[in-house]
Amino acid sequence: MQTTRASKGISNTTKIIIALVVVILILGSYFGYQMLTHPIDTIVMGTTDSVQSSLDPSDAYDFFGWEIIQATGCGLVDIRPGSQAGPNDFVPALATSWSSSPDGLTWTFTLRRGVKFSDGTGFTSYAVKYSIQRGIEIANPDGPFLGIGYGDIINSIETPDDYTVVFHLNFPFAPFLSLMACPASYVVNPNYAPMQYFRINYTEGNARASSPMDLGPYILTKWTRVAGKDVEMRLDANPDHWNATGGYPKTKHIIIKFYSDATALRMAIDAGEIDVAFRQITATDVKDLQKKTNVKVWQGVGAFIQYLVFQEKIKPFDDPRVRQAIAAAVNRTAITSTVFLGLAQPLYSMVPNGMAGHQDAFKQLGDANYDFVRRTLRDVGYDENHKLVVDLWYESSGHYASSPDIAAVLKSSLEASGVITVNLHGADWPTYRSNMRAESMAVYILGWYPDYVDPDNYVYPFLHSSGGSWLHDNYASQAMDQLVEESRSETDAVMRNQLYAQIQTKLAADAPLVPLFQSSAWAVTRPVVEGVVLDITQNWRHWLLYKTGG
Amino acid sequence: MGSGSYIATRILMTIPTIVLLLTFIFFFVRVLPGDPVLLHFEKQARPEVIESLRHQLGFDRPILDQYLDYMLGVIRGDLGKSMEDFSPVSEQVLSAFPATLELSIFSMIIAVIVGVLLGVVASRSYNSSADHFLRFFGVAVYATPIFFIGMLLQLLFGIGLHLFPTGGRMYPGMEPCGLSFGGTTIRTGLYTIDSILEGNPVKFILALEYLFLPSVTLGLYLSGIFLRLTRSNMLDTLFAEFTIAAKARGLKAKTVMYSYALRNALLPIFTMMGLEFAALLGGAVLTETTFSWPGLGRYLVQRIAFRDYTAIQGAVVYFALVVSLTSLVVDVAYSYLDPRIRV
Repeated sequence: MQTTRASKGISNTTKIIIALVVVILILGSYFGYQMLTHPIDTIVMGTTDSVQSSLDPSDAYDFFGWEIIQATGCGLVDIRPGSQAGPNDFVPALATSWSSSPDGLTWTFTLRRGVKFSDGTGFTSYAVKYSIQRGIEIANPDGPFLGIGYGDIINSIETPDDYTVVFHLNFPFAPFLSLMACPASYVVNPNYAPMQYFRINYTEGNARASSPMDLGPYILTKWTRVAGKDVEMRLDANPDHWNATGGYPKTKHIIIKFYSDATALRMAIDAGEIDVAFRQITATDVKDLQKKTNVKVWQGVGAFIQYLVFQEKIKPFDDPRVRQAIAAAVNRTAITSTVFLGLAQPLYSMVPNGMAGHQDAFKQLGDANYDFVRRTLRDVGYDENHKLVVDLWYESSGHYASSPDIAAVLKSSLEASGVITVNLHGADWPTYRSNMRAESMAVYILGWYPDYVDPDNYVYPFLHSSGGSWLHDNYASQAMDQLVEESRSETDAVMRNQLYAQIQTKLAADAPLVPLFQSSAWAVTRPVVEGVVLDITQNWRHWLLYKTGG
Repeated sequence: MGSGSYIATRILMTIPTIVLLLTFIFFFVRVLPGDPVLLHFEKQARPEVIESLRHQLGFDRPILDQYLDYMLGVIRGDLGKSMEDFSPVSEQVLSAFPATLELSIFSMIIAVIVGVLLGVVASRSYNSSADHFLRFFGVAVYATPIFFIGMLLQLLFGIGLHLFPTGGRMYPGMEPCGLSFGGTTIRTGLYTIDSILEGNPVKFILALEYLFLPSVTLGLYLSGIFLRLTRSNMLDTLFAEFTIAAKARGLKAKTVMYSYALRNALLPIFTMMGLEFAALLGGAVLTETTFSWPGLGRYLVQRIAFRDYTAIQGAVVYFALVVSLTSLVVDVAYSYLDPRIRV
């Protein structure tokens, strides 16, 4: 077959053009890359999170929304960074002092004087009352005020003078200060949060109109969304912040860039394009980054937990012995070491490690305690020839990190007992939620981030027949209800801890849920970044961050 | 039928296509398991609250009423509000379109240049080791997962050589403003064009830098198709009678290759370009995810995951329009490229 003889080589003109293009590209890239280093007064942070709906505290009920509300707003009290969020760890913020009545039904806060909103309006007790009342009255069905039950807890709010706020409660609520420290309770600027507006939404090109928050260490000066997803945010230091004279925030400008997934975020921090990467980098990448010298890995206590839920409407999971046997068969160490490479801790109670009142209640059942498993299941009619069949469900669309891997490890550890067979079922999050509501999943895995940092928020939403109704697990115990209600109202710290001890003991006995693990928190930064605090509150405190170099 | 009538007819035929497709999608998404109302309530379970939101979203109305309301809205240009954050779907789609368009254009340029050039080289050196290598290259690059190509480029050029950024669309604060005059701003949303309009060479270079890796990733991946297609078509035209006749008349090899063979081989390639470009305008999910490119590719995937019915429907309207218009442009352009074809 003949082909046309090609002309010899490339012409000189073409060669020159190609060479010029390559030189321009390289020079241009180098020049452009020089622009990518950040000045010392600016921290660029990368994340895979995003604002789920808005920055309105009456509506926002997601991790990242609360993170930005904390950076741009302020509450009456705060929790000391690095503490265990115990009763003595609350520090003044917009309130300088507080007290509660002996019966726990009245809380009085004295407010800080001389604080101004960004529009020059003075901060007074009116703004506090307005903010909380607004959340309760709007009663956004998506929002935290209904979700946490502010209206059930707070009866009325009084403002006897400009610098005093008095909360009257429906019942003594021991974690009331924790509630006041949570971002849902932060004070809005009434001029930017009309009572009749259901939600203050994102407004294209107008950061001020997109958020009612004020008084925080930062002001939101830029917020860009594309197709409903965050692309970039900019926070600039608030000169009117009450603690500005204390040197806060430590860095004037924070730029937040949003990445699609953990791999893209890892690439960015490894390439030095960002100063901080926080949520979410995978455990594998963290382990790899720990070996590198161009980044620093920070690790701390996490407050995120995952647990198994039993649907007690489905036999034999209505039998506590079966539930205890499954709890004893779980090998938590296998999960934390295999799936999370040691970056998670085994959890033996619904109250997380490091929190006041925590007890390792499930340790009495043991981990991979197969003698106990076989003995207990034999008592209810299961053995090697007639195995207990467990349909274990997990969420498969990435709502929880590593769910399929966790489920696989659970299957392996339960089946190692020799008397259990596990059938795995995955479902995406919308289907998973529907199945939960339909009560069709026999055993399923869920996760939990706290609304406020107190054992109550790890107990009431799970073990109380009313508070835990969202689980649809059909667990109800009058004795447990009573214990939980008493623990919510008990103001004496010692008595409260005793009640939580009883709750956790009963939890291990009834085993309606099986705590699995508690995630650590980690962040990766360039070596010049300091001020990262990762504690039980899960608060990301932008205002503490600073750089020691460019 | 004149070309004007042809174009008008094709445009009008787009309407029933979209109506049929939208009807199918409207009912199909509602059959999928998963309740979008429940997704708003991470922890809240009070039935009256859930039903209140269901009522607010109109899901408690008869399905046919919901359908008719939605279709009437589409006729008015209202694609409804996203069920996730309640912002207008049309705004969401339009906000992401420029990023998708820019990536599509540059990726297509790279795909065509690389694919056609290499295809020509392969056909010229038919049955040689170069030809065999290029054929292998065309298959390999198309078979390699695109995110893998992307990650390799990120590791080499981003982390290793620090030449290009690994993700995002622009350096913070350097988004081009376009052309401003007398209180009016002309902004296309394409950063390369807008930086030229603004007269800012630094922003132009930065826009190209951020475009480089995702465009090369997608372009290389698609070049495999064009390489194989060009080679195959070139071999057909190189051995066609008119080419042999041209050689016999003593025309230069270069003239025969490019003015006769390649020119005639380009017609099917042009059709493929149109199809691929329309597909790219639907968004390149994996490339956008790998490079955190804020385009439409991830939009539909995310909306399906949230069971955001209105956003899914809106995205389908957009895709149908894009594909219809692109194929129309290809057909009309065809008639100019090939005098034998008349619309």
